[in-house]
Amino acid sequence: MTIIARKTNWRFANVAVTGINARTENPGPGMAVARCIRECPEFRGRVIGLGYDALDAGLYARELCAASFLIPYPSLGEKALLARILQIHEQMGLDVIIPCLDAEIPNFNRIKPALAKLGIKMLIPSRDQFNLRAKDHLSAFCKSIDVNVPESKIVSDPSFFDTCEADGWQYPLVVKGIFYDAGIAYSPYDAKTIFGRLVSQWGYPALVQKMVYGDEFDLTAVGDGKGNLLAPLMMRKRALTDKGKAWAGVTVLDQGIEEMANKIVKALMWCGPLEVEVMKTDDGKIYLIEINPRFPSWIYLSHAAGRNLPVTVLKLLDNECNFDFPPAKTGKFFIRHAQELIVELIDFESVLITGSLAEIPERWIQEGSGYAEHV
Amino acid sequence: MEDATVSSPCRPERLQKLAVSDTGFVFDPQTGQSFTLNSTGLMSLNLLKKGTTVENTAACLAREYGVSVEVASSSLEAFLVQFGRYL
Repeated sequence: MTIIARKTNWRFANVAVTGINARTENPGPGMAVARCIRECPEFRGRVIGLGYDALDAGLYARELCAASFLIPYPSLGEKALLARILQIHEQMGLDVIIPCLDAEIPNFNRIKPALAKLGIKMLIPSRDQFNLRAKDHLSAFCKSIDVNVPESKIVSDPSFFDTCEADGWQYPLVVKGIFYDAGIAYSPYDAKTIFGRLVSQWGYPALVQKMVYGDEFDLTAVGDGKGNLLAPLMMRKRALTDKGKAWAGVTVLDQGIEEMANKIVKALMWCGPLEVEVMKTDDGKIYLIEINPRFPSWIYLSHAAGRNLPVTVLKLLDNECNFDFPPAKTGKFFIRHAQELIVELIDFESVLITGSLAEIPERWIQEGSGYAEHV
Repeated sequence: MEDATVSSPCRPERLQKLAVSDTGFVFDPQTGQSFTLNSTGLMSLNLLKKGTTVENTAACLAREYGVSVEVASSSLEAFLVQFGRYL
């Protein structure tokens, strides 16, 4: 079969979105990204959900995804990913992919040139940008650009936690997995338990970080790859899950946090979406906690605050961005809630057996989605 | 316009940014904090936001609520110290 590169305006694009899992304590950002795009009045294209597990809720969210496909886990490598994306492209004609999970960015980076040849665009950070903001490089990077970061240390031997207090590492301490997840340790026993859990899940080493007390803020934006921070939106966490993820928050405007994010994006020449997590202490000092190379799961708030960031990505990829964003609305709250999605057996069967849940093309043509003009 | 900072722990530029509703609901767009004020707190904040000095605000409160200026000043000072902790 011949695969033809499509040339489509972003308004009529077929946009594939990953990270459409929706576990309540830690949902992926994909469904929120899809929602932002679908609710943009100018958008007439289709959102295609890419999931990893047959129980990823977004696969069955018909109001968001016109079609859904399973893709191979990142651990299977870029070849498997490319082969699967090609299959999906044959069937759907993809224009844009928005990767929404940290672990899949390296694979997408490796297949980016091959996808570009097919006309599939992505706005993602380069390998160097991705690595520089990684947890194990964050301290050095922050020092180089004069950004405050809590003191941290790479730990490979858990016996560190028995003697660390003598070296100035007083409990409580934050123990972090190399890629993801963290826990607060109040004693050597706690620390070793968390360390064991993290390294068994995410591999060696782990990181230990001194606690910083204050209020948690997040900023999300898009980097244009030329050093510009586009459409920043800030949110203060108002309530947290057990994993420390926000389940309620409110949009705010803090000049200090924006300046920090500007500095980061300029230094990295960041390309693509990002989330900057910070802690602001009572004396006004801002500490960078983490830089995530993707949209956050609360990204739907950007649509509510008048800065639809996923649509900004589509516009940037189409060179249609005037960089004149309206001021972000402060005082917009979100409260996350869990909801049951009813799945028909035939749909679940389709995902399990064929790895996809797709409508018949004739139906999309009838819906006037713009597909007919481009195939 | 008079300066509201003479003896107030709340910086005027911070007060200006607060969104204040007639119901006494206050939202701080910089920190995301929200507060609820009673009628005296609301009156005080509205006056200070307009640039009224702390002394004149206390005098207005005394007139409005029929108390001595000393009582109003002391209450206003306590309110501002408490409120200032959150700004």
